Amino acid sequence: MSRGVRRRTALTVLMSLTASLLAACGSGSEAGGDLTAEPVTLRFSWWGADDRHKRTQQVIEMFQKKHPNITIKGEFKEWNGYWDSLATTMAANDAPDIMQMDELYIASYAERGALLDLNEAKKHLDTSNFDQKALATGAVDGKQYGLPVGLGMYSIMANTDLLAKYNIPVPDDTKWSWDDLKKIGEQVSKAGGGQVFGVQSPGINDTAGLSIRARQQGKAMFDAQGKVVLPPEVATQYWTYIADLAKAGIAPPPSVTVEKASAGLNQSATATNTAVFGFWWNTQLTALTAASGAKLKLLRLPGESQGKVGAYYKPSMFWSVSSRSKHPAEAAAFVSFLANDEEAAKILLTERGVPANQKIREAIAGQLKETDKAAKEYLDTVPVSDPPRITPNGASTVDAILKRHTEDVLFGRTTPEAAAASFIKEVQSEVDAAK
Amino acid sequence: MSALDELRQLRHGGVQVRKRDNKAAFWFLAPWFAGLVFITIGPVLASFGLGFTKYNLIQPPKFIGFDNFARIFTDERLHNALGVTFTYVLVSVPLQLACALGVALLLDRGLRGLAFYRSAFYLPSLLGSSVAIAVLWTQIFGAEGLLNRVLGFFGVEGKGWISDPDTALSTLIVLNVWTFGSPMIIFLAGLRQIPAVYYEAAAIDGASKWSQFWRITLPLLSPILFFNLVLQIIHAFQSFTQAFVVSGGTGGPSDSTMFYTLYLYQQGFSRFDMGYASALAWFLLLIIAAFTAINFWAAKYWVFYDD
Repeated sequence: MSRGVRRRTALTVLMSLTASLLAACGSGSEAGGDLTAEPVTLRFSWWGADDRHKRTQQVIEMFQKKHPNITIKGEFKEWNGYWDSLATTMAANDAPDIMQMDELYIASYAERGALLDLNEAKKHLDTSNFDQKALATGAVDGKQYGLPVGLGMYSIMANTDLLAKYNIPVPDDTKWSWDDLKKIGEQVSKAGGGQVFGVQSPGINDTAGLSIRARQQGKAMFDAQGKVVLPPEVATQYWTYIADLAKAGIAPPPSVTVEKASAGLNQSATATNTAVFGFWWNTQLTALTAASGAKLKLLRLPGESQGKVGAYYKPSMFWSVSSRSKHPAEAAAFVSFLANDEEAAKILLTERGVPANQKIREAIAGQLKETDKAAKEYLDTVPVSDPPRITPNGASTVDAILKRHTEDVLFGRTTPEAAAASFIKEVQSEVDAAK
Repeated sequence: MSALDELRQLRHGGVQVRKRDNKAAFWFLAPWFAGLVFITIGPVLASFGLGFTKYNLIQPPKFIGFDNFARIFTDERLHNALGVTFTYVLVSVPLQLACALGVALLLDRGLRGLAFYRSAFYLPSLLGSSVAIAVLWTQIFGAEGLLNRVLGFFGVEGKGWISDPDTALSTLIVLNVWTFGSPMIIFLAGLRQIPAVYYEAAAIDGASKWSQFWRITLPLLSPILFFNLVLQIIHAFQSFTQAFVVSGGTGGPSDSTMFYTLYLYQQGFSRFDMGYASALAWFLLLIIAAFTAINFWAAKYWVFYDD
């Protein structure tokens, strides 16, 4: 009898233990489950500069006030270190729960199974205020691996203070061609007397520039399957243009161009007022205006009115959740807060790009600085066409490959034709190698 | 006490004490030993295995046989990286050793404040492969850097030395030569070992300083020179930080500072091709082993042991 009771007690204890264990596993171990009330710590990592760290930290604190049981640990680095450390922590199965992701890398992480399909966490993640086209930029094979944070557009920044000084009128960007840019650049370089140049040389971190050139001619860098379909003629034309700019003195000498490229935004020709026209993302207007102290105006890229429209919305970055996160539901709830909360948005503003969430974009409109307003207006008014396919798995090194070929061309180590052929071959082999 | 005596004592007296000593020694060594096994030997063995796989850091490695090693022979960028690395090693090591020997000879003449100079010349070796110095280098050799200002003084127009593919590697060679401190210290110690009587005898016979150097100093110093040569060649092959920082991790411009190790790193951490990176690491081991073997073989013909 007593033995029977004891056995039964033991059984109950065992069962309740198992149940509580299962419950413990259940709470937060599924993306679609309920949010747990247990204390949870999530790691959240991003790249960026000081301003971003401060704003993000504030938003983290706001979230923690609403969810006292969730602690968010922020980890931040600058761009290069970020990707090195993400690669290694992923390998060590120690990836952060929530991460800031870039268009260059999203496919390579998603296709290697490192990211959570956010649709699984729909219950906690509201995407109703996002444009479908914008959402599609974060999807691979129909799975939502990233939620776009902000949108940006590739543009030209013109230093109108310098143009006024040299008595050169601001060009009409609704009509201008690539040749027009060359001509005006030449005038500037002449007036600048070796101190100020017309155009900051493209070709470095400029994959978007090459892609837009192709799109203006109805072509593209990659097809839907991720094959490189960039026509060699387009690439040849692209590098011929860059070589011409340098040869004619419209762009600074090659060694200056290369040096400034690795020194970062604050040392760029635009920021140091040593070139009038520069290729940038429209959202960088605020940072560059602050660095240069001059008046900068956003212009459309040349050639947009001669052929097809090449411009497009590029998601400045994504929020992604690790597929190995132990608390995907809570992570999704945090992403939802970052993307949808108006109070949070009023702190973050356009620091990560003009918000992709349309409701948020309007909510913060009143609070924007002059330059942020200009960036938003550019995005709202300049015509665009469908975005290109996201950079396929394996091609995340495309920027580095582009830069190396530009250097080869600038220093006369190869011809534009040879650079074009070699670039296409190398990018294709990178895509093939990742399969 | 000869080794035999020691062995005898081990057999008879004090065996117990020694056993206890050995045990204690083992425990004191254990933390280091654990580090050796888990942090060094483990990964080394793992990388050997990974060399035969395709491994992208996230999905499990896939066995692909000798493909990675075969790729070494067709990879043109790797061949360029090998060229850069060989140039770096073969130019910078002899220059560095010449500098080290030259300065050691000067310091050996017993000037006042020797300790200060010795430390001052040694300092760069401590700092040489650090990030801070590599950053400093970009400040010196940049388009608006220190060197160009000095050149500007003399009316010479400089350029961006680091950002021009024709000169970028030279700046790294200069950086390596500058860190001649540690071979210099070893040379100094070697010079002190040479008995003064040789020089006295030579001076009495009327030998010039020059022939004293060639006939006495150099032969007697040759074992030290050999030691430094082997060490610095191995060291130079493994250089990474300088090129990484100076080129911003790219090995540019135009792959002109693409050291072998930097290329290996890029394969592993930018291209996520850990299998190929592992194969490259083992290939580098072979290259260094070959160079060291050649060194030891050649040593028979020029290294002189005075015993």
